[in-house]
Amino acid sequence: MAIVEARGLTKVYGTGTTTVTALDHVDLAVQPGEFVAVMGPSGCGKSTLLNLLGGLDTPSEGTIEIDGEPVADMNDDQLTMLRRRRFGFVFQFFNLIPVLNATENAALPLTLDGVSAAEARTRAEEWLRKVGLEDRMRNRPDQLSGGQQQRVAVARALVTNPALLLADEPTGNLDSRSSDEIAALLKQASEDWGRAILMVTHDIRLAAHAHRIVFMQDGRIVDDAKINGAEDARKAVEKVGLL
Amino acid sequence: MNIAVTLAWRYLWGRKLRTALTTLAVVFGVSVLFGMGALIPTMSETFTKVLFASAGQVDLSVTNASGSTFDSSIAEQVAGVEGVKAATPVLLRPVGMPKTSPVSSIQVAGIEPRTAEKVRHYAVGQGVMLSPGDRGVVLLGKSLATQANLRVGGYFDIPSINGTKRYRVIGILGSASPPGTQEAFLTLADAQQLFGEGNRASEVDATFVNGVDRTLVEARVRRELGSDYNVGGIAPGSELLSSLKMAEFIFNMFGVFALAMGGFIILNTFRTVVAERRHDIGMLRAVGARRRTILGIFLVESLLQGILGTALGLLAGAGMAMGLIAALNPLYKRLVNMTVGAPQFQLSSLTLAIVMGIGVTVLGALSPALAASRITPLEALRPQVGEVEDRQRGRRAWIGVGILVFSAMGLVSGNASALGLGSVGVLVGLVLVAPELVGPISNAFAWLIDAVFRSEGEIARSNMQRQPSRAATTAAAVMISLAIIISLLGVMSSIVGGFLDYVDKSVAGADFIMLPTNLLLAGGNVGASNELVTDIRNTPGVNAVATLRIAKTQVDGSPAQVIGLDPVEYPKVATFEFSGDGQTSDIGKLAHGRGLIANGLFAAQNGLKVGQRVKVTTVNGEKTFSIIAIGSDYLNAKLATVYISQERLKEDFGTESNALVLANLSPGADAPQVKRQLATLVADYPQLTLYDTTSFKETQKVTMSQVMIGMYGLVVVLAIPTLLALLNNLAMSVIARTREIGMLRALGSTRRQVRRMVMAEALFLASVGVTFGVISGIVLSYAMVAATNNVGWKIPFYFPTGGVIAAVIAGFGFSLLAAVIPSRSAAKLDIVAALHYE
Repeated sequence: MAIVEARGLTKVYGTGTTTVTALDHVDLAVQPGEFVAVMGPSGCGKSTLLNLLGGLDTPSEGTIEIDGEPVADMNDDQLTMLRRRRFGFVFQFFNLIPVLNATENAALPLTLDGVSAAEARTRAEEWLRKVGLEDRMRNRPDQLSGGQQQRVAVARALVTNPALLLADEPTGNLDSRSSDEIAALLKQASEDWGRAILMVTHDIRLAAHAHRIVFMQDGRIVDDAKINGAEDARKAVEKVGLL
Repeated sequence: MNIAVTLAWRYLWGRKLRTALTTLAVVFGVSVLFGMGALIPTMSETFTKVLFASAGQVDLSVTNASGSTFDSSIAEQVAGVEGVKAATPVLLRPVGMPKTSPVSSIQVAGIEPRTAEKVRHYAVGQGVMLSPGDRGVVLLGKSLATQANLRVGGYFDIPSINGTKRYRVIGILGSASPPGTQEAFLTLADAQQLFGEGNRASEVDATFVNGVDRTLVEARVRRELGSDYNVGGIAPGSELLSSLKMAEFIFNMFGVFALAMGGFIILNTFRTVVAERRHDIGMLRAVGARRRTILGIFLVESLLQGILGTALGLLAGAGMAMGLIAALNPLYKRLVNMTVGAPQFQLSSLTLAIVMGIGVTVLGALSPALAASRITPLEALRPQVGEVEDRQRGRRAWIGVGILVFSAMGLVSGNASALGLGSVGVLVGLVLVAPELVGPISNAFAWLIDAVFRSEGEIARSNMQRQPSRAATTAAAVMISLAIIISLLGVMSSIVGGFLDYVDKSVAGADFIMLPTNLLLAGGNVGASNELVTDIRNTPGVNAVATLRIAKTQVDGSPAQVIGLDPVEYPKVATFEFSGDGQTSDIGKLAHGRGLIANGLFAAQNGLKVGQRVKVTTVNGEKTFSIIAIGSDYLNAKLATVYISQERLKEDFGTESNALVLANLSPGADAPQVKRQLATLVADYPQLTLYDTTSFKETQKVTMSQVMIGMYGLVVVLAIPTLLALLNNLAMSVIARTREIGMLRALGSTRRQVRRMVMAEALFLASVGVTFGVISGIVLSYAMVAATNNVGWKIPFYFPTGGVIAAVIAGFGFSLLAAVIPSRSAAKLDIVAALHYE
């Protein structure tokens, strides 16, 4: 069964003559352990799709099922629980709490879930070690580089062992070296730690690590290509005319 | 630790300056509430103790229900009651002393030597005790003897109704006088002559036989004397205690007002904080924080801040109370021989301060916290933006316009309730429309501020206009402070203006006025006998003379002062301010039967109408009077007063001494010559001061200016919350725009330009607050004056020019003062750090 499956997903913003259709009858499913990249020009609906699938926003039309359960039937608290336990989020702008240190930031979803402080800290430190930040655990965000901050965000996203990791332009704000480090980390999350990943990106080098690239234009999916490596990714991108 | 507590604490600690500034607002309010809540009851208690100490070992005290003096033979009646060991009449009067005396006032006690010592022990240290039949001798308290430097055999002068009387010191008490009292004991007969009280006493003191049932004896005395007398223990009801109670109320109100201002500041701070943390909140929601977790984070943050502010406020309040007592004690010692002990912190004021301090802080944060809990997780995915403005602004502004329209109608109506609602409505309406008017008002002031600040002014203005809700909240805090300042000064200037008007047309319609030292305290004035009045009347060049005589009474159970005037002579010299159909000829009607004129205040308080019959408590029991008219003389306008004829006052209250004398010149008389003659006559009456119209007006003007200076001092204190609100807003503004300031510096702005930009913003903020403050202050002062007129105290409305000027100076001056710290910290920002500030 797919972790998340969308059918006929549509999102319209505004009313009357000022309406904008951000998503137009999109069908998409992400299977367990699958690494899916979503690409397309700015404004094509990539982030909107990610927000809807992550339970951050509600569709105008269509259905979303998570673990086979329709999202439309869930109230705010149920959606919150879903995000807390089944999903992990990595945002473009790191989004760490400035007054908490790396461990506390990484442990946040566990702390919110009522896990004991000691256990939350142990599990957070374990993930921080996995993302290579064992010597930065007590540092606050302003004492970390952009790449390090994003690695804390990845640790935070994985600390609850979520089924699906949602990443919105995770390298959009990083230099190329840090981008490569994050890309490797996401690939490891998928291949070594068995997490499904749905990632929105403009970066073909990052998308090349995925198993599948979904191409979008004007709110619709225009291609859905399985890939295996950078060469496949480049060809898929060329095919839809994004290069 | 709970995540909400951890985050709240870390955020507070991480923004120390902001935390300090916000907490300061709570500290100020709590310290006033708690400090004054401890100081004033301590002073009251000390004073009460003094009164009880003066009463000695008295078991029972009897006074007349009217509050006036009564036949001293009542003491014999009390002494005859079973269970009463002894009873003695006392005639007790505070007496204001001439300016030349080393003490400002003394307490004269006329005692009956035969029975006095059976009731109270007089420990004579030097000389002897008063004996029955003694005349012209005085027994002094130790403190008075020391201060006046008197020994046994020396002489002591006391003002009397027949001029100053000289008494030989026969003895001096050995034990120290109760603090606060300067006692002089005369025989009852001497005291009665001194005050013109015939055979009357002001109270009867009694002691009981050992072991009797005190309640039972009290009941017997009550039965014996009937309802015309109050029987009981000592119940201090002095004017000083009433003043202290009033001061306690005023300070409590000020504390609540300061805390309300604190609430505005907290609200403003948390709005900014929520805006600043939208990203954090969105992210927390995205990773699984529930709405109530977000709400909890902010409420815990406000709670911590409330606890911190309240704790510091309690410490500051305790320090303030102790400091004030230490500072005031030398003054008390000198003036009333009283030392106030350490402040007593009562559980009630502690509870009030804690509940208000923490409550206001949490309440102030509630609305922003609720707004924070409604932030969607999507905010986490949006790029960082500035403060998101309230989308409901427009709707609120229209509601505000509606409230303003209704308030204006209420104000125009003149109805008392509508006036009150209208003035509150104006404040609420202005708060609601404020965000929409921030732009236009600051644009209107732009030519002035830009002229001084040029390009920095332009940036400052657009900075402020970008956050109209935040600017409007600050402006609202400034508005309320300034409105109170203007209305207070407005009412004061109306009272002063009205008084001087009255002096012109009424009292000083008399050419000469002889006023007692303390016009408003009937109990503290000795008055003058009719001999003096006759002498004045017979002075060549004097045409007409009128006097006022004062006693205490109760009308239908409500306490009032009763003034006796001559219905024929008074209208020749002065008149009343009448309500309704009343006219000067109504004064003449007092001569016949039992009629009275009630002053506006008393009539309004008790709903009295012309023609109504009321029961007046006299020395001889209750008597029925009919109300002839409603009217006031200005000097007594703010005291509950009824006027009757002097004949009636003598018959019903036994009062014959004159508290105030007015005289008119004959046409063509030589005024300076007459004044010289009158001065000779009153020279022996130091309790009276002679004024001619001009000097009286000048003296009153000086007194009023002194009161106004005091009021301006109060203005400074009232403006402190304004200063805090402005300081807080500007500091917020600088913190929120740290990155922008870094960018401006990077682009080439000098430190001076940045500093001037913040100062210009302070002036723009003040311009909005001052505009609102001036409008609402004028409205409030008009409403307060109109409301005063509605309750029967007639004063004309004077435009509060002084108040407006004071408010404009306070508003703009304080805004510049508030800008000092934020502008300096903005100018000192490190460019690189500022550019990376989050």
